[in-house]
Amino acid sequence: MFTELNSILNATPDSFTQGEFILVSDRQSDASFLIHHFLSFYLRARCKVCFLGLVQSFSHYSAISQRLGVSLTQARERGQLIFLEGLKESLSILIPQETTTESQAMDFLRDPTVGLQRLYEFVRSSVSSDGGGEEGVEEWGPPVLLVDDVSVLLSLGVSAGAALDFSHYCRATVCSQLQGNIVMLVRCHGEEAEDDGSDEGSEWLLKGLTHQCSLTLHVQGLPTGYCRDIHGQVEVCWRRRRGDGQHTQKKLFQYKVHDKGASFFAPGTSSAVL
Amino acid sequence: MLSELLQGTDTGAVLIIQDSCSYSGQHLLKSFISAALNKEEPVHVLGFDVSEEELKDGLTASTQRLHFHSAYTDPLGWTNRSAFTVHQFCVEELTHLLKQTSHPKPVTLVIDSLSWILRHMSPPAVCKTLQQLKKGGAVRAVIGLLHADMHQRGTVGSVCHLATSVITVAPGTKGDEAVAKITKRSKSGKVTQDEEIFSIKGDFSVTVVSKTSHAGRRQTEPEEQQTDPTANLTFNIRLSDTEREAKEKLALPFVFSKEKKTALLQSGPGSGRILYEPDANDDYDQEDPDDDLDV
Repeated sequence: MFTELNSILNATPDSFTQGEFILVSDRQSDASFLIHHFLSFYLRARCKVCFLGLVQSFSHYSAISQRLGVSLTQARERGQLIFLEGLKESLSILIPQETTTESQAMDFLRDPTVGLQRLYEFVRSSVSSDGGGEEGVEEWGPPVLLVDDVSVLLSLGVSAGAALDFSHYCRATVCSQLQGNIVMLVRCHGEEAEDDGSDEGSEWLLKGLTHQCSLTLHVQGLPTGYCRDIHGQVEVCWRRRRGDGQHTQKKLFQYKVHDKGASFFAPGTSSAVL
Repeated sequence: MLSELLQGTDTGAVLIIQDSCSYSGQHLLKSFISAALNKEEPVHVLGFDVSEEELKDGLTASTQRLHFHSAYTDPLGWTNRSAFTVHQFCVEELTHLLKQTSHPKPVTLVIDSLSWILRHMSPPAVCKTLQQLKKGGAVRAVIGLLHADMHQRGTVGSVCHLATSVITVAPGTKGDEAVAKITKRSKSGKVTQDEEIFSIKGDFSVTVVSKTSHAGRRQTEPEEQQTDPTANLTFNIRLSDTEREAKEKLALPFVFSKEKKTALLQSGPGSGRILYEPDANDDYDQEDPDDDLDV
């Protein structure tokens, strides 16, 4: 959990906006440090977290969360965290064995044209809590879905339209129905090209998700090139605002990632410069 | 022209609001809904992009005549709980849907958004449905929201060709202002285009800030108007004609004028004279090497 990012987004583990769809995107950069922030933030806020870790193993996230002060193993044991380890599950789909009774969430690997309906059903069963009456089961806060990342689905053969349908259904269930939050990571390669909508690649997926979301954090390298003390810039854009203020608000920050966190500052105010 | 479109549309009108990632056309769409509700007209909304709560949030007009057909929770039938799926977007199903609630006044159909439908149905089918809605008597007007950056230019062009009015919104220079480029086709075939800067208030009423027929002209106008620095002062720094003449005649102290040059070159009485006797080793050139300088 990065305290400076919390003050930028006006959120604390005790009070944060519910029903938000946060889109984290990057272009030729690595925005996964923000995923670690949101994971530790929502675990600290005592929310029920469903994490679709499609690109890294559980131990990877566990090691980094340890440095941020949160234990993923403990969270998983007490039922607060439901972790879909995409890499492990995909093995059981590709090499089926008799003993496997895993969920069919990664079914799209067998036939990508089918779409992500099974994955959505996995998410829905994870976030809808039905343990209210049992004794000894702790009551968790609103559900949160974290996806790392959506663009890897495109590499696995899923069409961008299917990915948008999946995110729409997740939004309808998690954000609107259960008043929870969603954080999704989208990664783009290359320059921002005028795709003309014909090539349904990661740029098109980014545009589609931007239309659906309520808050975007876009991570890029510095336009002037590599810098040792400043790792890049983050553009925060608030899209849907209810009630007051109809216009979208944009803010630009520069950041530096440390061993145990990241610091955010206004452009030009890095501690290395001042 | 934006206010005219908000006030009323003729029968068989199709209005498309085009938006992009940088500025969402949702609020303008809500303004149109609000304006129709204020005129006591029934409005049917096919909601794909937004939930019912999000659409009704902030609408102060009475929502009694607003009928929301939710295609947001289950547009593809994955959970078998859908009120309306995307594949039901055809004239027969829509007419059946609209006939379920009877109205004395003709209905305005709002589609939020057309992009959702275009992702799942072929553009010719969507255009056919829109055309049939335009011609048929089920609805009086159709208002659709289209995310122009999500489709090919050809698709956007085909759908907008059907429309009687197209409003393309983009972010403006100031915070809550936006620019709207409006193209309106009247029944006689005349096409009018306009560009306006507008802002939407909290109750979804639209204020047109200014009309610009050419965006570039506004920027050159301030440069042409030169402000008079001698105006609005408590003291007088204007010059009369005699004063202006005297000012122009004044010789400035450090300017090397012709009079000064002749005075320096001709030595006056009593000033020192320089006598030069060249030595045998000196290279004495009679010509002045500085003669070509214009001093």
